[in-house]
Amino acid sequence: MEKEKMVKELNRLIGKESVLGTDMQIQLYEYDASLIRSKPDCIVLPTSTEQVSKVVKFAHDNGIRVIARGAGTNLSGGSISLQGGIAIVLTRMNNILELDIENQRVVVQPGVITLNLKNFLAKHGYLYQPDPASEKASTLGGNIGENSGGPHCLKYGVTSNHVLGGELVLYNGEVVQIGGKALDNPGYDLSGVFVGSEGTLGIMTKAILRIMPKAEAVKTMMCIFNSIEEGGDTVSAIIADGIIPATLEMMDNLTIKAVEEAYNMGLPKDAAAILIIELDGLSDGMERLTNRILDICKKHHVREIRVAKDQAERDKIWAGRKGAFGAVGRLRPNYMVNDGTVPRTKLPETLAKVIAIGKKYNLPIANVFHAGDGNLHPLILFDERDADELKRVHAAANEILKVCADMGGTISGEHGIGVEKIHGMQLICSSQDLASMRNVKVAFDPDGTYNPGKVLPELQKTA
Amino acid sequence: MPQKDQLVSALQKIVGKANVIQGPKKLKDCAVDGLVPKAIVCPKNEKEISKVMAIANANKMTVVPRGSGTKMAAGGIPRKVDLVLSLSKLNRVVDYDKANLSLSVQAGITLAALQKKLGAGRKGNFLPLDPPFTEKATIGGIVATNSSGPKRYIYGTARDMLLGIKAVSPDGDIVSFGGKTMKNVSGYDMTKLMIGTWGGLGIITEITTKLLPLPEASATLLLSFGDLEAAGKYIRKIIHSSLLPSAVELINGAAADRLGEKSKYLLALSLEGVVEAVARQITEISESSKKEGAKGVKVLKGTKEKAFWVRVRDLGSDLAKKYGSPVILKSNFVISKHVELMARCEKITEAAGVRAAFICHAGNGILHTYILDKPGAGAKLKGLIELIGKLTLEAVKDEGNLVVESCPPEMKEKISVWGQPRHDQILMRRLKEKMDPAGILNPGRFVGGI
Ligand SMILES: Cc1cc2nc3c(=O)[nH]c(=O)nc-3n(C[C@H](O)[C@H](O)[C@H](O)COP(=O)(O)OP(=O)(O)OC[C@H]3O[C@@H](n4cnc5c(N)ncnc54)[C@H](O)[C@@H]3O)c2cc1C
Repeated sequence: MEKEKMVKELNRLIGKESVLGTDMQIQLYEYDASLIRSKPDCIVLPTSTEQVSKVVKFAHDNGIRVIARGAGTNLSGGSISLQGGIAIVLTRMNNILELDIENQRVVVQPGVITLNLKNFLAKHGYLYQPDPASEKASTLGGNIGENSGGPHCLKYGVTSNHVLGGELVLYNGEVVQIGGKALDNPGYDLSGVFVGSEGTLGIMTKAILRIMPKAEAVKTMMCIFNSIEEGGDTVSAIIADGIIPATLEMMDNLTIKAVEEAYNMGLPKDAAAILIIELDGLSDGMERLTNRILDICKKHHVREIRVAKDQAERDKIWAGRKGAFGAVGRLRPNYMVNDGTVPRTKLPETLAKVIAIGKKYNLPIANVFHAGDGNLHPLILFDERDADELKRVHAAANEILKVCADMGGTISGEHGIGVEKIHGMQLICSSQDLASMRNVKVAFDPDGTYNPGKVLPELQKTA
Repeated sequence: MPQKDQLVSALQKIVGKANVIQGPKKLKDCAVDGLVPKAIVCPKNEKEISKVMAIANANKMTVVPRGSGTKMAAGGIPRKVDLVLSLSKLNRVVDYDKANLSLSVQAGITLAALQKKLGAGRKGNFLPLDPPFTEKATIGGIVATNSSGPKRYIYGTARDMLLGIKAVSPDGDIVSFGGKTMKNVSGYDMTKLMIGTWGGLGIITEITTKLLPLPEASATLLLSFGDLEAAGKYIRKIIHSSLLPSAVELINGAAADRLGEKSKYLLALSLEGVVEAVARQITEISESSKKEGAKGVKVLKGTKEKAFWVRVRDLGSDLAKKYGSPVILKSNFVISKHVELMARCEKITEAAGVRAAFICHAGNGILHTYILDKPGAGAKLKGLIELIGKLTLEAVKDEGNLVVESCPPEMKEKISVWGQPRHDQILMRRLKEKMDPAGILNPGRFVGGI
C-alpha cells in the first residue's frame, strides 16, 4: 500500500494525533542501539489495546508488516523495520494498571519504563527484580521482547522468570490472554516462549509481573584486582565454592578508567579489574558469608576491598556500573556490544581469548559484564566512518561469537539476536532446531506479519 | 497401517528384539485409561527414538512416552494408544559440571537416584525439585508434567531451573535447545515451551539444569492452629515479610492425620540456608506464631524432618497404592486466597459427605485435594463428579482452575480433567498442529483435547 494511503487509513482508524508519517518523524525511528538503520513507512503511537488491535488487523488485511517498539534501546537491531511497514511505538501505553500487593503481582502496560515501576514499588516496600543497566530508559515491553537481564538476575533469574502472563495482540488483531496472576495454569507455557521472542510472535499489551518483598539486609562490596585473570578466576572460584551472591559483576581496566573519568567516584584507574559483589537476604550469617568470599578474593591476590557503608555508597557503586556503557561510549564515536555467554567455568579462558582478538584486530575492547552468569559484554570501540576499522569490528565480533559457541556457550545471553547476530544462529542451532523454532513462529504468526527478518535465519530447503 | 507383525519386526530392527515388549501382562500394565498398546518399545538412545518416531509418524501410529508410569492416570483419555515408548534405558548422567553448578542428564533417570549422586561428597549439590513419587519419578516425567512440590516456594519450578532440553520431535528430528549457560536468548525459549507439555510436542530425552549447593542447615517448624483464620493471618505475615522459608504448607486435619501429626490445621514451614539464618528463624517464628494463635510448635530436624516431607510429597502415591486411580485434584488460584479457598473447598466436600485431605502450597496458590474414599461406582461416582464441578468453580472464582491429576477412567469420560477452557487454547492448538501435524504424540490427553 502506498504510504500516503496508509497514513490516511491509520488516521481514520485511531486518530491523527497517534500517527506520524513525515520524513523527519520517521527518521527518529530508523535506529535502535545497534548499528543497523532502516525506516518504517509510518509510525503509530496507540494508547490502548483496542487501537493496537485495529492497527494490526488493518496491517494484516493489507499485507503490511508490523513491528513493536518500546524505547528502541535494544542492541541487536530488534526494533528496526527491515521491510518498512508500520512501527507500533508503545511508549504512550505507560500506565501501571494494578498494584496487587496481596497477590504479589503488578499489572502494567508495555510502555512503562522499567525504573519507574521499580521506584513505584519501592515506595510500597516491594521489588521487581530484573534490572537491566538501561532501566532508566527501557520499557517493560522491550524487556519482555528481549528477555532482558541485569546484575541481580544471577540470583533472581531474568525477565521471563518474573512474567506470569499478559495480553497479546495476535497477527490478525485478535486479542488473547495468556497465563495469569495464578501460577500453573493448565496448558503450554505461552508466556515462557513469548518472552524473548523479540516482537516476532505478537505484541504484548499488558503484562502480569511477579513482585516480592524487599530483602532485610544487603551488603555491597567492590573487590579490586591487579590482574584480569585473577578477577575472572575469583568469579569461577566463588561459584565453585557453592556461593551464589545476588550479583557478581566485573569491569576491566578500560571500563574502570572510563567510568572514573565520567563519574569521578574514586576508582583506582590503574586497577586491572573490579568485581562488584552484592549479598542480600537475612542479616544472620551474612558476615560469615562475606568472609568466605573475601578469603577467596585474598587467595586470588585481591588488592583492595571496599564495602559500601550505606545506601548512598551502594547507589554510587551501582551508578558507576549501570553507567558503564555510556562512559565507555564517550571514548570513541561508536561501540558494538557483544553478548556471548559461556559456562561460568570457562570465563577466564574466554576472557583471555577476547583480549587476544582485540589485539589481533587492533581494536580497543572494554569489558563490563555479568560475570557470575558467564555473560560477557566486550564493547568494541571504533569509528563508523572508518571503513577499514568497521570491517575489522565485524570480523572481531564474529570471532568472539565463535569463541563463545566453541566454549559450549551461546551467542546472546540477554541482548537478543535481532538482525545483528542472525548469521550466528547456525553456530549454535542445527537446521532441525531452527525448523522447530520456525514452527513456533508460524503457529503464532502464520503470515509473517510481525518483525520480519529477525531471530531466525532463512533455512535452506532440504529435499 | 502395515500389519502388526511387519510393524513389530521394523521396531525390532531398530531397538533389538528384547526391547520390543509384547507380553500381554506387560502390555496391560502399560495401558492408558484402559487402552492397551500394541507394543512397548525401549530404545537405548536418541538415534533409536528418532527412528522409531519416523516409523510411527509415517504410519500415523500414536506414541505415548513413559518414564516410570507414575502419572499415567493423569490427562484426558487418549484417542488411541499404539506404542508406549519407555525412556527407562536413557538413564545416564551426561555431564555433571560441579564447578559450573550445572548438570545434563537423560530423561529416564529417577530424581532420587540423581539426588544421591549430587549430594555425595563434602560439598554436595542438589536439584531443587521435590515432586510427588519421591522414589519413582523420573526427570523426564517430572519435566514433561511440570511436576513440583512444597519447596517451589523458594526455589521455583522447572521453568526456573532448566537451562536446556534435548528432544525428539514427532517426525523423528533430534533437536536440542539451550545449554550449559545460565542465560540464553539465542532464539526462542523452546526449553520453557517443552516443560509441562506432557510429551505432546516432542519426547524429552535429556535436560540440562542449574544446581544449587546443599544448604548448610535445615529445620522444619510445625505450627498447629485451631482455626483457619488465625493460620491465614499468620501465613500472610510470613510471606510478606523478609523471612525466607523454603516451603509454606497448610495442611488440614485429615491430611495431618495421614502424616502422623495431630492438628486441626497444621502449618509446616521449611527453613534452609546458613546456620545462623535457620536458627534465627526458628526462634523468631516460634515466638511470633504463638502470639498469633498457634497452639503448638514443633521443630523437626534430621531424618525426622526428611521423613515428614517425603510423607507430604507422597500422600497421593500412597493412595494410588491403595486404590489404583484415586481422585486427586489440583486447584490453582491467586496466592492471597490460601485459607479462603481451602475453607470453601472443605465445606463443599463435607456437605457432599466426602472425606478429603487438603494440602496447600500456601505461598504459591496451589491446593491439592486428596479424596480419601475409594472412587467407587454408580451414585458415588456421580457424587464425586458433581463435587469436582463445584470445586472447579471455586478455583475459577479466585482466578485459577482445577486439574484432575488422577481419577479412574470411567470418571474421565464425564468430566474435563483440565478444568474450564481458557482463552489461550487457540494458541496451544495451533502450536500442537504445527509441531505434531500427524497428531501422534499423546493425542487427546492434553488441555482442550490436543
Ligand atoms: C546503555 C545500554 C545498556 C543496556 N544494558 C542492558 C542490560 O544490562 N541488560 C539487558 O538485558 N539489556 C541491556 N540493554 C539492551 C536494551 O536496553 C534492552 O534490550 C531493553 O529491554 C530494550 O527495551 P526497549 O524498551 O528499548 O525495547 P526496544 O528496543 O524498543 O525493543 C526491543 C524488542 O522488543 C520488541 N518489543 C517491544 N515492545 C514489545 C511489546 N510490547 N510486545 C512484544 N514485543 C515488543 C521489539 O520489537 C524489539 O524486538 C542495554 C542497552 C543500552 C543502550
